Amino acid sequence: MNLEKVVFGFFVVLAATLNFGFFIGDIENPTLHNKYELFAAVVVNLIATVLKFGDRTQIGAVHLATSLVADLQLIAATLAFGYAVYVSSDGLTAAATAGIVSLSGGALLANVVSVVLLVVETVSFHRG
Amino acid sequence: MALKSLFRRNEQRRSRREALRLAAASAAQASATIFLIMRRMRAPLIVLIGIFAVTVLGLTLIPGQDADGRPWRMGFFDAFYVMSYTASTIGFGEIPYPFTYSQRMWVTISIYLTVIGWAYAIGSLLALLQDRAFRQALALQHFTRKVARLREPFLLIAGYGQTGQLLGHSIDALGRRFVVLDLSAERIDGLELDSYNADVPGLAADARDPGLLSVAGLDHPCCEAVVALTDDEEANLAVVMAAALLRPEVSVVARVTTRTLAERMQAFGNPSTVNPFDRFGDHLRLALKAPASYQLLTWLQSGPGGTLPTRGLPPRSGRWVVFGYGRLGRELTRDLRAEGLEVTVVEPRPDGAPEAAMIVGDGSDPWVMAQADLDRAVGFVAGTDNDTTNLSLVAAARRSNPSLFIGARQNRPASAPLFAAMDVDALLVPAEVIAHEVYAQLSTPLLWRFLREMPAHGDAWAAQLTDRLTSVCGTQLQALWKLRLTPEEAPALPAWLAGGNARLGQLLRNPEDRDEPLHAVALLVVRDGQATLAPDDDFVLAPGDELLLAGWAAARRALGTILFVDAVREYVVTGRRVPTSWIWRKLGPAVRTEVP
Repeated sequence: MNLEKVVFGFFVVLAATLNFGFFIGDIENPTLHNKYELFAAVVVNLIATVLKFGDRTQIGAVHLATSLVADLQLIAATLAFGYAVYVSSDGLTAAATAGIVSLSGGALLANVVSVVLLVVETVSFHRG
Repeated sequence: MALKSLFRRNEQRRSRREALRLAAASAAQASATIFLIMRRMRAPLIVLIGIFAVTVLGLTLIPGQDADGRPWRMGFFDAFYVMSYTASTIGFGEIPYPFTYSQRMWVTISIYLTVIGWAYAIGSLLALLQDRAFRQALALQHFTRKVARLREPFLLIAGYGQTGQLLGHSIDALGRRFVVLDLSAERIDGLELDSYNADVPGLAADARDPGLLSVAGLDHPCCEAVVALTDDEEANLAVVMAAALLRPEVSVVARVTTRTLAERMQAFGNPSTVNPFDRFGDHLRLALKAPASYQLLTWLQSGPGGTLPTRGLPPRSGRWVVFGYGRLGRELTRDLRAEGLEVTVVEPRPDGAPEAAMIVGDGSDPWVMAQADLDRAVGFVAGTDNDTTNLSLVAAARRSNPSLFIGARQNRPASAPLFAAMDVDALLVPAEVIAHEVYAQLSTPLLWRFLREMPAHGDAWAAQLTDRLTSVCGTQLQALWKLRLTPEEAPALPAWLAGGNARLGQLLRNPEDRDEPLHAVALLVVRDGQATLAPDDDFVLAPGDELLLAGWAAARRALGTILFVDAVREYVVTGRRVPTSWIWRKLGPAVRTEVP
């Protein structure tokens, strides 16, 4: 067992699960989408991205690309969240919630691709 | 025949592809280092992200109060904002409401945590920037980009020691570009301090690596010659091999110090090899036979701005004493004996059996000096590889016989003032010999041709040509340039040349006043592969001739005007003032611009 692989797999899967946890639920209902979960998703995604730095293989490059996409979408979602809560006079409306959750949905897709890559990599790994 | 050439072309294409692949491999090597650095930044970045996450999360969870004392919790945005300015030690204070004690406790912990995180991340980044591998990778990328952007012909010089620097300055004075590879990073750093007119790309790297040679421009279409001047014979051989195999069409010049290595190099294409010791022997032979030819040769080889060397008169008969029987001593003894001179050799530690007329002993030993019998010798050469020994030998020899012709070898550039003060008759500086020779070969092919064919014309001829040169240009060598009498390079000439009575003396006149000659001398005319050395004023020029001229830079510009402007050419050749503009030519008297 390789500890590096364990840590890597842990963060990639955790990023996807947290993302999924935030995304699931009625898209317009703000009470179903926990802001702490979004925060955790952003942090874990950033860590997963940094873990993917410096891998020179083709699959490593695609891994990094998917992570960067997920980061971009999640950070966009948090910015939209912040705008709705602090700046907008309407507060967290149904429309704003839908925007935030759909952005995180995009990130979820990228994270799913990341997990698929992880599985493909594991399956295609032959020992000796 | 066609098949053969097809094969050849295929082969060339393959070798070119190979070279490109090598260059790509080197570039990949550079990016590999970047990857390594990204990998090494992983831990600091993760620590930073982790610390930020924990502190921000803590701040949102800890209960606070608003301005009216009601319970209030900080949002993520506020928390991130507070942590950002706290971590970066800017400290805007407690916003949006004054903190409660529990919040302050948490912020205190956060401050210490984030400061550690930032210090770790920034420290790692700065350490990476100082990292040797990283800096080398950056230098390689910078160098690769600079070489790839070269759009004019350039030389690739491998080895930037004393010789390389001398050659570089002469090449730069000609207005040509070059690229430098050297093992020593100090010499490459020195490139930036050197006063070159053009930017010189340089890389501290091993020239034996063909990939690095490719990066340095071996596979660049503008690379016209490769010069191997390193101190290491093996490295020079490796450069010659790489150049011959990857780019057979570029010319290669290499420094060698032994005959065996020169022969090994000849197996790869046909590189031109320069052996300073052999060349010094040849020069000394030439100086013995034809002092004026030797004087002219060394003058023209010394590059732009060289002063006329004094004409030495080595004794043509008598006995010579050579101290040191190493690479130089052997070549010199062979050359002197070939001239029919008697030679006594003194060597403290001969490898192999002592030969005839060889004294085994140290030159500082009075007994050995007495044995060498300097009083009855005519020539003396201090040829050891130690400057102190050579200087003391010269002093001792001069004391015992002041009328000796003295030759000495200078090994280190720092000793130059001492040798100059000693005023020896023939000084060998191996680095200068190589630099001058390579310059003569690469500056223009015509100069090299002139220098090779010149000794055959005899001493009196050389003396006469030297007088002509000094009367026209003075004792400092001015510009040397090449001229081709084609319609492209000399559009004003074809009609005049076609007349069949175009004399060189008519052309080299001052365009302001044709009674004055131009300050330039034609050294060589090449027509259909046939060379005529130092043509006189009555020499009849023909279209397509190639000329090598020496003279003032002003003369070069004036000649350029004569070659391009019909009216100036007309005045210089015939003395008639012709209007330059079309309308005045139409209005003025009909003048035949063609000379029958």
